[in-house]
Amino acid sequence: MATVLGEVSSQVLAGQPIPAATLETLWSEASDLVALGMVADEARRKRHGSRTTFVRVAEIPLEAVAHVPIPPAAGEVRLVGTPASPGDAVAAVREAVRRAAGIPVTAFTLAALSRMAGGADALRELVTDLTEAGLAAVAEATVDEHDDLRRDVEAVRDAGAAIARFTIRRWPAGSPVPTLQDVRRLQKTSGVVRSFAPLAREIDHARPTTGYDDVKVVALARLALHDVPSIQVDWRLYGPKLAQVALLFGADDVDGVQADDEAPHGPRRAPLEEILRNIRAAALDPVERDGRRAVREA
Amino acid sequence: MSVHAIAEKVAAGGRVGFDEACLLYREAPTHLLGTLADAIRARRHPERIVTYIIDRNVNYTNVCVARCSFCAFYRHVGSPEGYVLSFEEIFQKIDETIEVGGEQLLLQGGHNPDLPLEWYEDLFRAVKARYPRFRLHALSPPEVVHLSRLAKLPVEAVIDRLITAGLDSIPGGGAEILVDRVRKLLNCYNKATADEWIGVMRAAHRAGLRTTATMMYGTVETPEERLEHMFRVRGLQDETGGFTAFIAWSYQPEHTELSGVEATGVEYLRTLATARIVLDNVDNLQSSWVTQGGKVGQLSLAFGANDMGSVMIEENVVRAAGASYCMDEIEIVTNIENAGFAPRRRNMHYDLLGEPIFRERAIPRRFGLAVAKDAGTALMPDELSGYAARSRSAREQRRAPGRPAQPS
Ligand code: SF4
Repeated sequence: MATVLGEVSSQVLAGQPIPAATLETLWSEASDLVALGMVADEARRKRHGSRTTFVRVAEIPLEAVAHVPIPPAAGEVRLVGTPASPGDAVAAVREAVRRAAGIPVTAFTLAALSRMAGGADALRELVTDLTEAGLAAVAEATVDEHDDLRRDVEAVRDAGAAIARFTIRRWPAGSPVPTLQDVRRLQKTSGVVRSFAPLAREIDHARPTTGYDDVKVVALARLALHDVPSIQVDWRLYGPKLAQVALLFGADDVDGVQADDEAPHGPRRAPLEEILRNIRAAALDPVERDGRRAVREA
Repeated sequence: MSVHAIAEKVAAGGRVGFDEACLLYREAPTHLLGTLADAIRARRHPERIVTYIIDRNVNYTNVCVARCSFCAFYRHVGSPEGYVLSFEEIFQKIDETIEVGGEQLLLQGGHNPDLPLEWYEDLFRAVKARYPRFRLHALSPPEVVHLSRLAKLPVEAVIDRLITAGLDSIPGGGAEILVDRVRKLLNCYNKATADEWIGVMRAAHRAGLRTTATMMYGTVETPEERLEHMFRVRGLQDETGGFTAFIAWSYQPEHTELSGVEATGVEYLRTLATARIVLDNVDNLQSSWVTQGGKVGQLSLAFGANDMGSVMIEENVVRAAGASYCMDEIEIVTNIENAGFAPRRRNMHYDLLGEPIFRERAIPRRFGLAVAKDAGTALMPDELSGYAARSRSAREQRRAPGRPAQPS
């Protein structure tokens, strides 16, 4: 295992892709977790150094777009839910953009838009309309929810729009390497994957993933996706402790930090303070970004 | 010395000095600390076994005169929420523990001035009479100090009497940080100074008991004071060899007078790994999944821990301060195996007892923790009237005919 990691380290430093067979070996060896983390951290530092971005997100349910308060501290307003029709989707985005007062608005999953549009041309038109309504990016492309992910992703690209993050709903049983390879190929041909969030969005509470599984998949994602700029973890979904540890296993961006600054337990436990403290405690440098990935001034 | 040079020394099996440990703890990359700690764990436990114990964390009373500022569990003397468990309630908890394969109670509680030494002796004797093989891992050093003050007896005499009554081992609770500056700030200096805590452990080891050592970090102490704590434990271990394990856990701030924030997961892993490096004479390091959650709890196994602690059946103290993680035996075993280790049940002395019990017989699954007092039961049991009370409120209550019950 030590030799394999040594080779991987050299490949990382040379900016070369890690072969799938090597990734499989890394996945099946649980005993060298820290060493795996160290190599993934090398890959992350080669790209980002100690810079660690985070975004404060205000999630707005579609049906409440007209009246849910939008915290001014948000760096991204994210519309969640499935619109009934393309017209509804565009109207909701327009309203969210109006109320967000300059905060970038992201919305919907690409799978939902694809289902609604029913074909590549219609999807491209819909995304064009959403962009004209002010949409900063499609919020999410869940890689295991598409009949034809490449077609849908290319429709978004052809509309000149962006996808904020690629996610996975649930990893298939066994190794994550084949799925990561698919994402790698998608990036190679389309270049649209700005960020991949490797921790599954759907948590099976009867059989939750373990801490080892989680950080290994983060490390593997960083190593497998050498030309994807960012590996992301979700603050709310996996909790601060795991998300913070994941920053040492290849992740460089934290999604889903709470946007309101309510601090019922005192100012040191306000969300912004918490995220800054956690990133610094991992000996990393926090940088706040917005939904367009622009750095927010302190 | 540089971090690199100290790391090489540790990797070669060398012992770190205080300044070296401080430099490592402050400046070594987390991966390096993990690598060093994991290598030490592998040297000490080459068979890749990770142990756990099935026991029950029972808090016999929440009435406490110590009033530590970090504690969300205690109630003051005379509080309508104060409770003492009856012997019968404790027997019932033991029955439930045995049902899921447990062989021990971890029995700790507040410094209740109305429970004299005789109450503890009677309880221990009653437990041993009814459950001769069941073990009592009971009374942390500050509780022993409290009893010695209450009974006006030396610590050694209190320990002797408790051993005679049935005490098997002493848990390392109440250590917090073994530095008196910190203890004064946390209002736990009066319950036991650092020297008193060490003194009780020394007396216990000399009396033939094995004990654990704990550290609660993340309040007001400096990183150097955390290390001072570890070095005090290492020093006594050099002298007596009586500690079986070291357990570090982070302060839980919810509902406490001290308030503040909890140390992060990475700080936990760094502290654990540093403890593995410094405590080269302590065999076992426990994962504190109760405070860190199952995921970081499992990751502890890559940062020096070789023990998953207790399959919690009941927990009251940490939960009162906000943490509410729960894992039954199946989950603990799943986590151990998923990390590539072989799970084994153990007792308090870390003797291996065997394979997971749920693989031998059907065990009811537990997805929640039991509480100290069931709703509707008397908060102060009648049997207390047979014991001398120190406080006026308890004296009056023990004279009165009825007793308040826990609201259902
Ligand atoms: S930590 Fe123990 S001694 Fe301190 S107040 Fe709480 S119960 Fe009492």
